[in-house]
Amino acid sequence: MTQPNRLDGGQIDRTRKLKFSWNGTFYSGYHGDTLASALLANGQRLVGRSFKYHRPRGIFSAGSEEPNALVQLRTGAAQEPNTRATTIELFDGLKATSQNHRGSLEYDLMAANDLLSPFLSAGFYYKTFMWPKAFWEQFYEPVIRASAGLGRLSMEPDPDVYDHGYLHCDLLIIGAGPAGLTAALTAARAGLRVILADEDFTPGGRLNAETYAVDDQPGATWAAAVTAELQAMDNVRLMTRTTVYGAYDHGVYGALERKTDHLANANGKPRQVLWRLYTKRALLTAGSTERSIAFGNNDRPGVMLAGAVRTYVNRFGVAPGKKVAIFTNNDDGLRTADDLRAKGVDITRIIDARQGDNVVNTVGRKGLHTVYLNGGRHVEADCLAVSGGWSPNVHLTCHHRGRPVWNEQIAGFTPGKDLPPGMVVAGAANGAMTLAAAIRQAHEAAQSIAAGLGKTVRDTAPKASDETFDTAPFWHVAESKTRAWVDLQNDVTTKDIKQSHQEGFRSVEHLKRYTTLGMATDQGKTANILGLALMAEAQGKSIQDTGTTIFRPPYNPVAIGAFAGRARGKDFRPTRLTPSHRWAEENGADFVETGMWLRAQWFKQPGEKGWRDSVDREAAMVRKSVGICDVTTLGKIDIQGRDAAEFLNRIYANAFLKLPVGKVRYGLMLREDGICYDDGTTARLAENHFVMTTTTANAVTVFRNMEFARQCLWPDLDVHLISTTDAWAQFGVAGPNARALLSKVVDDLDLSNDAFPFMACTDCTVFGGTPARLFRISFSGELAYEVAVPARYGDAMIRALMEVGQEFDAVPYGTEALGVLRIEKGHAAGNELNGQTTAQMLGLGGMVSKKKDSIGSKLSERPALNGDDDMRLVGFKPVDKTIGLTAGAHFLSPGDPEDMAHDQGWMTSVAYSPELGHSIGLGYLKRGQDRLGEQIRSYSPVRGGNTMVEVCSPHHIDPEGHRQRG
Amino acid sequence: MANLTLTASPALGGIELEIGQNRIAERSDLAIVSIATPLGGKDILAKTLNTGWSLTMPDPIMSTVEGNTRAIRTSPDQILLIFPHGTPDANATVQKKLNGTGYTTDQTDAWVILEISGPDTLKALERLCLLDTATFEIGQSARTMMEHMGALIIRLEDDRFMLMSASSSAGSFLHAVETSYNYVS
Repeated sequence: MTQPNRLDGGQIDRTRKLKFSWNGTFYSGYHGDTLASALLANGQRLVGRSFKYHRPRGIFSAGSEEPNALVQLRTGAAQEPNTRATTIELFDGLKATSQNHRGSLEYDLMAANDLLSPFLSAGFYYKTFMWPKAFWEQFYEPVIRASAGLGRLSMEPDPDVYDHGYLHCDLLIIGAGPAGLTAALTAARAGLRVILADEDFTPGGRLNAETYAVDDQPGATWAAAVTAELQAMDNVRLMTRTTVYGAYDHGVYGALERKTDHLANANGKPRQVLWRLYTKRALLTAGSTERSIAFGNNDRPGVMLAGAVRTYVNRFGVAPGKKVAIFTNNDDGLRTADDLRAKGVDITRIIDARQGDNVVNTVGRKGLHTVYLNGGRHVEADCLAVSGGWSPNVHLTCHHRGRPVWNEQIAGFTPGKDLPPGMVVAGAANGAMTLAAAIRQAHEAAQSIAAGLGKTVRDTAPKASDETFDTAPFWHVAESKTRAWVDLQNDVTTKDIKQSHQEGFRSVEHLKRYTTLGMATDQGKTANILGLALMAEAQGKSIQDTGTTIFRPPYNPVAIGAFAGRARGKDFRPTRLTPSHRWAEENGADFVETGMWLRAQWFKQPGEKGWRDSVDREAAMVRKSVGICDVTTLGKIDIQGRDAAEFLNRIYANAFLKLPVGKVRYGLMLREDGICYDDGTTARLAENHFVMTTTTANAVTVFRNMEFARQCLWPDLDVHLISTTDAWAQFGVAGPNARALLSKVVDDLDLSNDAFPFMACTDCTVFGGTPARLFRISFSGELAYEVAVPARYGDAMIRALMEVGQEFDAVPYGTEALGVLRIEKGHAAGNELNGQTTAQMLGLGGMVSKKKDSIGSKLSERPALNGDDDMRLVGFKPVDKTIGLTAGAHFLSPGDPEDMAHDQGWMTSVAYSPELGHSIGLGYLKRGQDRLGEQIRSYSPVRGGNTMVEVCSPHHIDPEGHRQRG
Repeated sequence: MANLTLTASPALGGIELEIGQNRIAERSDLAIVSIATPLGGKDILAKTLNTGWSLTMPDPIMSTVEGNTRAIRTSPDQILLIFPHGTPDANATVQKKLNGTGYTTDQTDAWVILEISGPDTLKALERLCLLDTATFEIGQSARTMMEHMGALIIRLEDDRFMLMSASSSAGSFLHAVETSYNYVS
């Protein structure tokens, strides 16, 4: 358990030793390590296999830009593939395995792919697998699918929990490096509400990785002091382990906070929280990312970005190699030599491209051991620190489709002019590539932002020196004869870029799709500029003219679970329950989702084998004696005001102005275009007080449309609306014994037909004083009432109704029996009101009053909606009564071909009628009103029905309405 | 007439939960009556509100309180009056004082009221409510959405809020609130 590559120093806590396992072997590290630094400390250079060629790969960077070191973390259902070892905080008991190999990591059978590389170049899959055709599904696709991807999912549900959250601030600072910390301090001192977010677990950015000084202190010490000061301020929220991944409209930013990923056990707390950040201003201080140089075999374990080498040495106290060579095109790379020498690491050679020295090849099968230079020279090295310059992290500046601008001076893209509104960029992200310049720029930006928000602060920028910065664009070593990698994650080589150009895929977007350059978890953070530069070179254009792909959110990968948050399983959406729900559960109810409502669809009794047994029994008992149905879910809207009647008269197609107090009326609502969209009843409880009932499905739509009409169309009317859907528990009581039952429920009210006739309504009390409303309305066609009590009494009410109803063998009935009863009666419901239905089709054309104006009435008069050949709602019964009808079937005349030209209508609803003893249906038929008694075909190519049916009245039972009026 | 009487059941059975040092409690003792302003009757209603309850008409997004009675402005011409009241006649009680100067509807049963309090309350609200609740003034109110449910939020004290949502989805609402506390405390 020794750590052979551990050096002195670093920001790790050597008093907290941590044990972890890598490919089943236990190693140790320290608190403050990443998995990558701990692996390097333990001499583990080979950590994975490449995507396509299965080449051995090592750790390449020290941050979220890592293209190589992708591992599978944890085990079992919690296993997560493709996590970057460079961002995983080490914890005690961490288990990680390598991925993308068959056999062991050291001896990957799929490494044979590397031998086939001439056949696997960019776009090979567009050109192969063409023949024989039959092989595609049987052979090629399974093989390709088995080979694709890197890690493996557990194929079990994610056991972790995730959450969402919302935060607000004056200023969001993205990145807590020297620029971000400086800006946060200034903005916070000015009194702004500041959120400072950084994806690392320790603020400081490059200050933790370099040996710079700020305010005469070591940079890391200064960063820790500023962090402590910020943490103590009430107006600052410091969010470490938080990646701001997207810039959205109106100053909204998306951020992912990794809450418990660094813990062995989350204890039921969310693993990650997806934050929506509402900001007045945002300051992007995201720094820059180092890039590589393309030279022969530049992908071996041991080849590492120079900045990462300094990070491992300075921050983690780890030597990435015993003998280190350095290949650079800039001054920053040379800093590596100083830092390593200071730690006693052997520098075998500094190869400076600006002086004509180049690396042309490397050797070492599972890890680098020799570096070959131009001129036939070679040098031993187990680590090659490469620096091809630094690219400002401009990604978030492009999320509103802004285009970055090429800056020759720093050989990188800097933010363009079209930033997301409210965003300012400072520091290295803005091209200020040296420490003092970055700090100065961030300080000025924060002061300016504060001033813009009405705050002032008189502080000075922290003191720092500008290090030397000299870079000469250098992208690839032309003398290299072997493959040189551009994008390590996707195995894209310089040859692939050239081939893309040769084959005409020259636009940057085409280059990306053809070669896969810049795809996957790292989105080409270390590769994109190199790829662009090579394409520019091939085209003989400047990099600016070649352009860049558009950066889109997310900046770094976000787990799908985090996007879902809590909305999983039963918590996917809220559930609405009626007040009788508990009682229904106790009494065998089977529930159906109706929007967010759960409604009882039937109540299973002992001995019933299937749903039809329950539904037939319930429907039959309603016709025979009495049934009780919870109709709470129907929309209820309280309408009051001096002009309430006039308002309703304009809303409904039929007349409401003269509805007497104490009466209910059926109403039909039209859309502006004259099509029916909802129906229901409205009761007049007082001169200026109405209660409207809507369908369950349209409750919100109707309310919204009426509120729009009230506020915008007729603001001169004195009318007020409020929903009371949830306020009342409402029960339908239907059947010949409904009156007898209710007479034992309702206090002191004459329910005789004369005193309380069909379509009467009243306020009343029930069961000795509980306030209630009683409506004599019928959906079933039976003698029926609806009785409503305040919702808090709903549970007690259903229990009391059933107790009283025992005398009449009363049954509860669900939505299925409700459906059977209404089809028997010929009442339209959602199936009939499908958004294409006119009043005339329903046989209610006469209800659309011509004596007044109402919404949709004029357009309902359009000739196209009123032709002689129109569809009309009629009933259907099978000629052979033993056959069941099929909803959705189309009607054809006997002998007609089965095509749309001969289509005469369709069946909207069907049910088995226990009352009639056979299947019945409702549907629309051309000139249906004139065809009663005709026999036609009911044909369903989808469900397979082909039945002769007889056209009949839609009122299968009691067409004269004696029962409901009796 | 059957010898039965009906007993009221609050939407959540009057639940009280403690999560760490925080508390979630259903306020089933409160009645809610909406009062709509008749067209042209703004001044008269404001006056009646003052004489009847010593309440001033709340400004938009604010509530006013006097004793146990709170008025919350919910729209340009509507307020909710919330007050302790145990029987199902809140509407009549309010109308007695209003005497027709406002249109009233009993909303007691349409809502579930949760009073939430404790040191983690603002943190829990960060997970539940997209508004900047930390900057709410005492008495400030807002209509918003919480976990896809329409809601009203009123700040009662620094770390005490009243949340209101539809009574039919009271279970889901409680679950959302409880989960938020569980995740932050």
